[in-house]
Amino acid sequence: MASAIVRSGLGSAIRGGASTPRAFIASKRTFASHGHHDEAAEASKWEKITYLGIATCTILAVVNLSKGHPHHEEPPSYPYLHIRNKEFPWGPDGLFEVKEHH
Amino acid sequence: MIESQRHSYHLVDPSPWPISGSLGALATTVGGVMYMHSFQGGATLLSLGLIFLLYTMFVWWRDVLRESTLEGHHTKVVQLGPRYGFILFIVSEVMFFFAFFRASSHSSLAPTVEIGGIWPPKGIGVLDPWEIPFLNTLIPLSSGAAVTWAHHAILAGKEKRAVYALVATVLLALVFTGFQGMEYYQAPSTISDSIYGSTFFLATGFHGFHVIIGTLFSIICGIRQYLGHLTKEHHVGFEAAAWYWHFVDVVRLFPFVSIYWWGGI
Repeated sequence: MASAIVRSGLGSAIRGGASTPRAFIASKRTFASHGHHDEAAEASKWEKITYLGIATCTILAVVNLSKGHPHHEEPPSYPYLHIRNKEFPWGPDGLFEVKEHH
Repeated sequence: MIESQRHSYHLVDPSPWPISGSLGALATTVGGVMYMHSFQGGATLLSLGLIFLLYTMFVWWRDVLRESTLEGHHTKVVQLGPRYGFILFIVSEVMFFFAFFRASSHSSLAPTVEIGGIWPPKGIGVLDPWEIPFLNTLIPLSSGAAVTWAHHAILAGKEKRAVYALVATVLLALVFTGFQGMEYYQAPSTISDSIYGSTFFLATGFHGFHVIIGTLFSIICGIRQYLGHLTKEHHVGFEAAAWYWHFVDVVRLFPFVSIYWWGGI
């Protein structure tokens, strides 16, 4: 009995939901921010966030670049370092392996 | 849309590009294997394959732009196809990157005796995560903010501001690539230095490669915005670029936290 009530209730809800014109209105896409004004305000907000990001990155870049690059000591030649199994088609070293300090 | 058409679907014309792209991919793969095994003509076949592939990409996307922007075939329902397709593509990219992070975690959580039983392996010099790596995490995030600015500017109908925002997006991307190149150049290890080098350069290198693709994608969107191709109602190409760019900047957080920071101290 209880399950029959639930079934008929669900059935009418589905039928009702599909047949009323309200469903069509509800299915139309609506966004939290719509209209030019809201979009313009959002654009302006993200423009400010971008400038803030650029300013932070510039400061960090200046700090990092002024430090100079670190010098690392050559490690002992452990067998798992500088692995060579076969020759490269272009020569003895990997394309991006030749480093400044080598 | 064409007047006589009584449906909103796009019935595409026959195109030579799927078969030419397939042949280009085949030549690239076979040429690549031949080149790496020092076969004669391998480099030539690889170069021809890549040229063929790049040419196909250019003309295929040119045709899609003509069909959508100039011929108006991309109705609301047609736009769903590229959207779903692009979402699935990004999902596959997430899985692609997951594999590299999994490889890195697998190797670092229980380091083998062959590398000294420690992580980073004995003798491997690591970078300070709070120098260039941290900066190179903030740069893509700022670039992501710039692309969001571009999106809202397009929706607000501010065409010029959208171009400026895309210029900012691309400039930040180029700065990222510059710093990444510098980091690789100064890095104490290389891809052939143990499992650390392999996982580090594979994950960060593929991320860098994706940044370059995203930069090209954003440049194309900037040019199309400048030419007036993108409207408030219809800018699927831009949306795909923005999704891709957000994917690339979010993915950067994973190597930063797990490889540079956790794996490097």
